[in-house]
Amino acid sequence: MKSQSLISSFNPANDPNTLDSYERAEIDASTRVPVLLFFGSAIFWLLIGSLLGLVAAWKMTHPALLDGMAWTTFGRIRPAHLNTVIYGWASAAGIGVGIWLMARLCRVALVHSKLLIAAAIFWNLGVLVGVLGILAGDSRSIEWLEIPGYATPILFVAYAFIGIWTIIMFRFRKPGHVYVSQWYLFAAFLWFPWLYATANILLVWSPIQGSAQGAVNWWFAHNILGLWFTPLGLASAYYMIPKVIGRPIHSYYLSILGFWSLALFYSWNGMHHLIGGPFPAWMVSASVVASIMMFIPVITVAINHHMTMRGNFGALKWSPTLRFTVFGAMTYTIVSFQGSSMAIPSWNTFIHFTDHTIGHAHLGLYGFFTMIMFGAIYYIVPRLVGWEWPSATMIRWHFWLSAIGIGIMVGALTLGGILQGFAFYDPAATFRTSLEYATPFRIIRGLSGFLLLGAHVVFAILFTQMLLRIGRPQEGPALFATPTEPEKEVAAV
Amino acid sequence: MIAGILLLCFGLVFLSGSALLAFYWAVKDGQLNNLPEAAKSIFDDDEPVGIPTDRFPVKQRP
Repeated sequence: MKSQSLISSFNPANDPNTLDSYERAEIDASTRVPVLLFFGSAIFWLLIGSLLGLVAAWKMTHPALLDGMAWTTFGRIRPAHLNTVIYGWASAAGIGVGIWLMARLCRVALVHSKLLIAAAIFWNLGVLVGVLGILAGDSRSIEWLEIPGYATPILFVAYAFIGIWTIIMFRFRKPGHVYVSQWYLFAAFLWFPWLYATANILLVWSPIQGSAQGAVNWWFAHNILGLWFTPLGLASAYYMIPKVIGRPIHSYYLSILGFWSLALFYSWNGMHHLIGGPFPAWMVSASVVASIMMFIPVITVAINHHMTMRGNFGALKWSPTLRFTVFGAMTYTIVSFQGSSMAIPSWNTFIHFTDHTIGHAHLGLYGFFTMIMFGAIYYIVPRLVGWEWPSATMIRWHFWLSAIGIGIMVGALTLGGILQGFAFYDPAATFRTSLEYATPFRIIRGLSGFLLLGAHVVFAILFTQMLLRIGRPQEGPALFATPTEPEKEVAAV
Repeated sequence: MIAGILLLCFGLVFLSGSALLAFYWAVKDGQLNNLPEAAKSIFDDDEPVGIPTDRFPVKQRP
């Protein structure tokens, strides 16, 4: 098994059911190198992305900031921020968590770790070349696909390696139930390379003509949220919440219903970004309907996570993983309801071009996805390095800076965006009026960026300490306080 | 335009179609039988139901 070649893994004559039993610690340890590689690089890009975002935010209110150089202009800094946090941080963190979860849920030690290490190297190379390309002025002006054409194949190779690895892992899994998290991981790891390739072929290699480009662009850009980040985030939440509190998910039936309805409806969502655009009405209408249908998977997740947590909310006090994950899971409900409401045409025409949309994007990618990734990393890393998080105080700082920072950011952008929308709709108001409405809120947003950057610096220090095994060695778990007999509490439920 | 829309429809059909195929496999394989037991598949003798696990694993292997 260990020395198996890639080709023999695919050979149908090769019997996959010849596995030894693995200890959980052994499975965790087998994922160490690739997972830490993805986590480490993700945190590096998170810091770079936060800085770029901060500069972009302040340029909205102080356009003269850093205006001497071409590469610091808003048109380059802003896509550089987006692509750094999307591909550099969020995707890489999600892949790391996904690899670890996949090994655990297949109940086998990781195979072909070299394939994943190669994927991590290609991934970071792709992000580096892509972001430098954007800063150098090669941005493609296609939202979510700004990375220049010479960098996307590098990223695609990484995606493809991970997709191939996923299939091999599934083939060699220990027999038994395929847990709901694993379904979500398949959705992410197998669909996304395909989506990414299709979008790049249709928009870069042989661009289709006219407004169909817009359709492909938003089909892709919405699917990166719905079929990449959402499944990765939910896979983690569906594993971490029950696992940390030691209680099976409230209604497994609902979780399955949620997964399949997401898988069937979500890929139809993208066209709601084009309401009012020059598109056949049926495309937009079908998409609005699909967006409203998203209430089904979202409500199943909301009911499930809430009911699983009921009676265990005290656990938020002593588990860092749970605190971040539950914050993310609750935000998932909020951001999804908000997203469905934003697809309703009458509301969409009002807020479409305002900061409200930017607030929504940050609520989704930070409040939901990033927070769940933080939670998962707090759970996984001690199991990989055999060392304990050095400081509960720093974890607390990380949590509150992130939570308060994203709360202020989203609140300011949402309110400012609605005021902007009012100004857009007022025939007596000039464009300048809309800017005057938005500016104070944009300053608040800029300030909240410092809180988030602070949170990330704290997190990066903690992670580095774990890697280098610096700090206070501990025997106990990474708990904020000694749990007041959580075992009894849970057992009583 | 027509080619683009056709390709896009193909995209949507491929995604939904592969989901349907996977769902068909799940039903055939009996993945959807006995869901209450399935929910416990992430627990075992080592880390049973009722024990919180956000703690350092005792057993470490290099």
